[in-house]
Amino acid sequence: MDLQGRRVAVVGMGGAFPTCSDLNDFSDKLFSNKSLIRVWDQAVAHDKQVRSKVSAYITDAEMNLETIYSTIVANYPETYVDLLQRIPPGNLSTADMGSIWAMLGAKDAIKMAGWSAEETQSEGTGVVIGSGGCGHALLRPAWHHVFELGGKSRSPGAHTVDRAMVYREAANVSCLIKNRGVCEAVASACATGLGNIGYAYRLIKFGVQDRVVAGGVETTSIESLFGFDAMQVLSRGFPPEESSRPFDMNRNGFVCSFGAGIVCLEEYEMAKARGANILGVIDSYFNNSDGDGDMFYPSFGGQRRLWKGLLGNSGIKPDVVKVHGTSTPAGDPIELFSVVDVLGEEGYHISAPKSQFGHMLGAAGAVEFITALLMLKQQAVLPCLNSVDLNPELENIQKADTWNGPRSPMQSFRHLLPQQSFKKEINTIACLNYGFGGTNSAILLSKDNS
Amino acid sequence: MERQEIIDGLVEILRTVRTIDPEKLKNVTEETDVIADLNTPSTELINIAAKAEQKFDVEFEDDDIDNMGSKVKDIVDLVIKVKERA
Repeated sequence: MDLQGRRVAVVGMGGAFPTCSDLNDFSDKLFSNKSLIRVWDQAVAHDKQVRSKVSAYITDAEMNLETIYSTIVANYPETYVDLLQRIPPGNLSTADMGSIWAMLGAKDAIKMAGWSAEETQSEGTGVVIGSGGCGHALLRPAWHHVFELGGKSRSPGAHTVDRAMVYREAANVSCLIKNRGVCEAVASACATGLGNIGYAYRLIKFGVQDRVVAGGVETTSIESLFGFDAMQVLSRGFPPEESSRPFDMNRNGFVCSFGAGIVCLEEYEMAKARGANILGVIDSYFNNSDGDGDMFYPSFGGQRRLWKGLLGNSGIKPDVVKVHGTSTPAGDPIELFSVVDVLGEEGYHISAPKSQFGHMLGAAGAVEFITALLMLKQQAVLPCLNSVDLNPELENIQKADTWNGPRSPMQSFRHLLPQQSFKKEINTIACLNYGFGGTNSAILLSKDNS
Repeated sequence: MERQEIIDGLVEILRTVRTIDPEKLKNVTEETDVIADLNTPSTELINIAAKAEQKFDVEFEDDDIDNMGSKVKDIVDLVIKVKERA
């Protein structure tokens, strides 16, 4: 069912990007084919307790923040100091690190959007931001102190709830910008970032809101890395910058990374009327579930239905497909085959931003949506870094009797997977993200050609 | 423990509460209301109480915390009462 609704423009973006001082630095590094992945000292410190030692992580200093640790509970971040005084102490006191990134990203995005205080604080403005993790950095020391060391519930202070609740980023941004519309979070594992933007798009399209601050966050957490490390799905054995290698034959897992991506969406005619700089127009959002009953394994059928829902009868063929492209052995072939199955073998390119900064989990879809906006702006395709050798043999899934997708090996699609950034006329980009539980999300994003 | 000694210690604790303007801590008296005069969110009182327990080496009962007022003298009285009780 495709209901005609209002059009939705993207008018602002911001966030927290590993090793980058700001959005421009992020853009410069990406289009220079750089990797933001490095050896993580926290993982190295745990030596043989953990397999993977690389990440695109963000330090306090890189964000001009300082963690103040509790004098009562060991290793517990009591609060944070903003060395540049961008966020008031009252807002910092209710935030975890990821919520601060969200607030900083929201401030930058709103500034870029050019929304007035009256517009920002109106009933027509919503906040929809989610994350994947659950505040490990706060909860682990707090509850260790209480349950293992016999501390009282009050020992960590009164902010374990607000700083670790599921929608903490949305709540903190809303309290900072004082909007009067909706404040919610969508959670869909690694599709969270795109899912929140998609939900925000629907809120505007169907007239519930005129403006929405939307996005996804994943705060730096060694516990998150440990969790995925236990599943043996993380990359190991490569130098950091070569660790994330979507579609490459020798890939052996993803790189667990962290960051935040925040965008401002606005009803198109309103944005146009006030002369806003329109970064892109969202043509369509679609999400679905695999229906395979499998928590982890990606689904060719689910992704094929995702594409059908995304494109509908629009006749649109994107110039670039910004894939999920995690660099896991199971995920990449199915995704590549589903893209080829729908779009054919010519006339578009595939971009895999995780090749440059790894998998930002709950932030992935939002930060990668920002990379799509940057591709529209630069009119250049971001690469599939490290996709050096593609399998010349058929994948096992292609050998099954039930397989009804492309029957050529991954190597046949070499021409779709650039290893370096390059200039190209780009009008439309499809953004894809998937998550545990068999959830799939996709957005179609176009340049404003009006 | 003298009252002024407790007030001084309390001011040190209040300096760690980032929401409080350090300027306002220059003239703290027993009548200063932590919430009304220092614009401290009420959620910070429990943090202040926990830090007071640590600083003055006392352990408050749950009722002590529930009944604690928000003026400096209320906290000083409580610390003295709990010390005497011990």
